[in-house]
Amino acid sequence: MKAQDLQQVRPAFHDPALGSQAVFRAALNALSHPGRLNHMPRVTELPSHGHGSAAALLLAMVDSDCAVWFSPALANTDTAAWLRFHTGCSWAASPDLARFLWVATGDALPALNTLAMGSDEYPDQSATVVIEVNALSENAAQGTSAFNLRGPGIADMQSLSVRGLPQDFVEQWEVNHQAFPRGVDVFLTTVTHIAGLPRSTRIGATQEA
Amino acid sequence: MFHAFDNTGPNKPLQRPDWMALLARAPLALLEQGLDQQSATEPNWLRRPETGLYMVQARAGGTGERFNLGELTVTRCALRAGADDSGLVGVAYVLGRDHRQAQLAALADALLQDPVQHEALDAKLLQPVRKHLATLQAQRAARAAATKVDFFTVAREVDGIDEEDDA
Repeated sequence: MKAQDLQQVRPAFHDPALGSQAVFRAALNALSHPGRLNHMPRVTELPSHGHGSAAALLLAMVDSDCAVWFSPALANTDTAAWLRFHTGCSWAASPDLARFLWVATGDALPALNTLAMGSDEYPDQSATVVIEVNALSENAAQGTSAFNLRGPGIADMQSLSVRGLPQDFVEQWEVNHQAFPRGVDVFLTTVTHIAGLPRSTRIGATQEA
Repeated sequence: MFHAFDNTGPNKPLQRPDWMALLARAPLALLEQGLDQQSATEPNWLRRPETGLYMVQARAGGTGERFNLGELTVTRCALRAGADDSGLVGVAYVLGRDHRQAQLAALADALLQDPVQHEALDAKLLQPVRKHLATLQAQRAARAAATKVDFFTVAREVDGIDEEDDA
């Protein structure tokens, strides 16, 4: 990180302890109730690129042991410098080396099976992918892929409509789910909300609405 | 000890690492004095002062295996001078736990990057700090000089005896 980058950096949490706890609670809720929309509290100043909820999530989760990969729209922006300055994380050169990935809207999602999946002994050493999408809803909406989610944390069935995921996401997710306990976890974010897709969740019976 | 920072050479312009090294060792009183009313402004924080430990590593003789020499308490902070987002960013890492000292050192770092204020601050703030550090250095050197043992004299006294033994 250079002095020019530092000149662009904006502040982070208004209150580091309470702010990161509030964000952590939102992330915890999102993963324990897959597919449910969680409002991301506005507790931090934000960089100029990327979704605010994704920025807050990574700011709370990442530390100096983590390598973070930024999709091309975010790499070399003040967003990457901001996260590095405030968390001490390193920048991963390629997606497979990263523990956290931040994929901006419009950028291609790296194939999930090329990312760090962990091992059977250490399934925790896997990647967490934060994917920015155009729209998220618990009800079917026009022009979205409708997912029917089942698995731990869901009583019967949870429906989730997403706009902005690649066409073959469901197939990729099926492969990811099959590798359990290995596999990646995904957060889907809009500007204000997040939804979690842990590796234990199955996506079934999809249709284009 | 700090020679790499302090001997910048006669005609070299003062670079940011040079003045940051000076500010890191400036006592609080000199910082307050040198910054005057600017020290009263409410800082625009990027990173509030936080105190932590650094593990200092060393090599015996500068060439041996690296070992952990000990831990140092360091306070760091980063702030933006001025209220808007265009202000210059100043950073400070200072020894000890004094948050105020870190804050003022960072503020001075930011202001020194401004060409308009650089000259005045150099004279008002950095010059007294240089003088203070030179005084410290001289005192330390004087104290060390008082304990100096001149082995050369001792060797001369036994010179003759050695020769007799050899003969």
